[in-house]
Amino acid sequence: MEYTLKAHMPGLVARVVVEVGEHVEEGQELAVINCMKTEMSCKTEKAGVVKQILVAEWDEMEVGSPMIILDADA
Amino acid sequence: MIKILNGGIEMLVEDWPGRMGYMGLGMAPAGAADHLALQLGNLLVGNQPGEAGIEIAGGYCKFQMESDGVLALAGTDMEPKINGEAFPMWEAVPVKKGDVISLSHFGGKGGFRTYACIAGGIDVPEYLGSKSTCLFGNYGGFCGRKLQEGDLIKTGLGDSSAAGRKLNPKYIPEYTHVWELRVIPGPNSVPDYVTEEGMDYLFSTEMKISHNANRAAYRLAEVPDYFWARKDGGKGGSHPSNIVDHGYNMRGGINVTGNTPSLLIADGPTLGGFVCVGNVINADLWKIGQGIPSMDKVKFKLSTPEEAVEARMELKKMLEAKDLFVS
Amino acid sequence: MNNKYEVILDTMPETENHIEILFRQAGDGFIQVEYGHDQRVELLDSFRILAVDSKIKKMQIQGLIETVPSLRANLIHFDPTVISAAQLIDKIKEAEDSVKGMDDMVIDSRIITLPIAFEDSQTKKAVELYLKQVRPDAPNCADGYNLEYMAQCNGCTVEDIKHMLLSTDWYNSGCGFWPGGGFFWPMDPRCKMIVPKYNPPRIWTPEGAVGIGGACLFTYTTATGGGYQLFGRTIPTFQFSMKHPQFKDGPFLYRPSGDRIRFVETTEKEILDIYDHVHDKTDYVYDIQEGQLVVKDYLEFLAKPEVQAGAKEFEEKQKRGSAAAPKL
Repeated sequence: MEYTLKAHMPGLVARVVVEVGEHVEEGQELAVINCMKTEMSCKTEKAGVVKQILVAEWDEMEVGSPMIILDADA
Repeated sequence: MIKILNGGIEMLVEDWPGRMGYMGLGMAPAGAADHLALQLGNLLVGNQPGEAGIEIAGGYCKFQMESDGVLALAGTDMEPKINGEAFPMWEAVPVKKGDVISLSHFGGKGGFRTYACIAGGIDVPEYLGSKSTCLFGNYGGFCGRKLQEGDLIKTGLGDSSAAGRKLNPKYIPEYTHVWELRVIPGPNSVPDYVTEEGMDYLFSTEMKISHNANRAAYRLAEVPDYFWARKDGGKGGSHPSNIVDHGYNMRGGINVTGNTPSLLIADGPTLGGFVCVGNVINADLWKIGQGIPSMDKVKFKLSTPEEAVEARMELKKMLEAKDLFVS
Repeated sequence: MNNKYEVILDTMPETENHIEILFRQAGDGFIQVEYGHDQRVELLDSFRILAVDSKIKKMQIQGLIETVPSLRANLIHFDPTVISAAQLIDKIKEAEDSVKGMDDMVIDSRIITLPIAFEDSQTKKAVELYLKQVRPDAPNCADGYNLEYMAQCNGCTVEDIKHMLLSTDWYNSGCGFWPGGGFFWPMDPRCKMIVPKYNPPRIWTPEGAVGIGGACLFTYTTATGGGYQLFGRTIPTFQFSMKHPQFKDGPFLYRPSGDRIRFVETTEKEILDIYDHVHDKTDYVYDIQEGQLVVKDYLEFLAKPEVQAGAKEFEEKQKRGSAAAPKL
């Protein structure tokens, strides 16, 4: 099943801290958004394997913008 | 005292009307981005309406009471919790030493800022007549900066007589995602600088708030090139938005830099080389502070100085209304 | 022609004493008093604005919050629930009328002498950082500093640039871009160098940096970004903590507005020593003379043949220099 990490904050993508193919745990930080000069961690609600990274550094995020797609663990 | 456990996105000490009278020396007034919520919060806990509170932008923060007191949260509902249990909005609630208050984040209900008001107010030294933080210049408030983990914020002496007060629901401000702001045109809204069609665009278009919107400038989506009535700024500079430096009509100024309009609401330069084409009336300034960056839109409505004065009076009357609270 | 965004509330027609004065609506509690329609840069406009501004301030107008004077306009901030725009305009007209010819144009204007160290290590660091972080190929920083580029733009030598900075008084037409900062203009037209601003701007400039953009000089009151070409570093012109007796009533050195500053060259060691005596020992004595700027005398100075000839000669050099200098 697919799980999409969405931006929870408006701002700019400061960095993506995982790579495609990597296995991540629930609650792990996948990316960081810079909102009003404060870095906010974007954590996954599901464990799984990173399938696709949709954003790059400095991309502008709205609330709900899709960022990273995981193949969630069953 | 209040101990900050997590400063979230932006927690600042702000009062109202801020640091007045220093624009001619380069100091913007700062002050609460939503002065209405701050004033209502203060009145709920029995403070003077302009007393300093903690302005919470975005959310994701947590703080602990280091002494007993009365606390009200006013503004957007960030699903506040006290020791894990729901904490009501718009209500003066008695709190005990050790209580932990946590806020999630702005939600679907609209609005971006919440004020934590405590009976007795926030006890930081006044700097040039105000407790407000100016982030742009890093002065005022608590050490001139955002609050962060471990900060101990002193509170003033308050009593608990206000505990239990609730805001009469009919006075709870309405939050939305498209904010209508009443605007008085000027001083550069004229064909010397901009076209009438350009101004029509400004007054007829819903403009999205940029992700790059903060207390120094609430930036909006760009205006089209036909906004300009001239090719360049003459003696003021190369772009038609340039002008020989002049004082900015803040708070509320609509300042256009390049093709980007910004609302000047709190911090930032008080004089500069870009045109100002309008001014959001004082009574509507609070709405800007509730606009969510990169999500909400603003819509300007043509207004007059007469309407602006009337709206100020209405707001004042509301804050003094006999039925402001229910218990 | 009926433009719905027209905002001229009132005017004072041109007289022998002043050009047309426009009162523009600028919002809920703001009026802009503007001198003429033309976007011109004339110190004479500023002198008059400040002369009238000081009259306005002495009138104790109920509901007046503050004024923000600039080169050719004055922004009036007021409480419209106390005084109406029309009433306020009447008061300002009264102040305008009371300033008649040149004889009435005497402006309170102190002379503040500021030591400067040219090309000191801190402003040099700002240029190095700019080259490293922002624009490695910046033509204005080609030799690691800005003075050479400033000389190019004005068709003169680096020594000439320093000489011009030191040889004229610099007049403050208004404070306001940054806390405590003033906009200073050269009073001697023979020293009117002109340089473009950094493009894009710097991220960091040290406290006390002295820079110029266009013809306008700025002393950085605190560390900040900025776009002016740098000469070097002067002593503190602002103090947040207000510890030093000079700053006991406020963090500002400059008054809003009309001050003149004058630079004297010194060593970096001396400058650093003064920082210590301003910010830590708090016993530095600022060199400030109370004074007045008599506009009539100044106009006589401008009319002197040697001043006019010198200014013209410099302008010619400047024209050639600016045509040849790389754009930013």
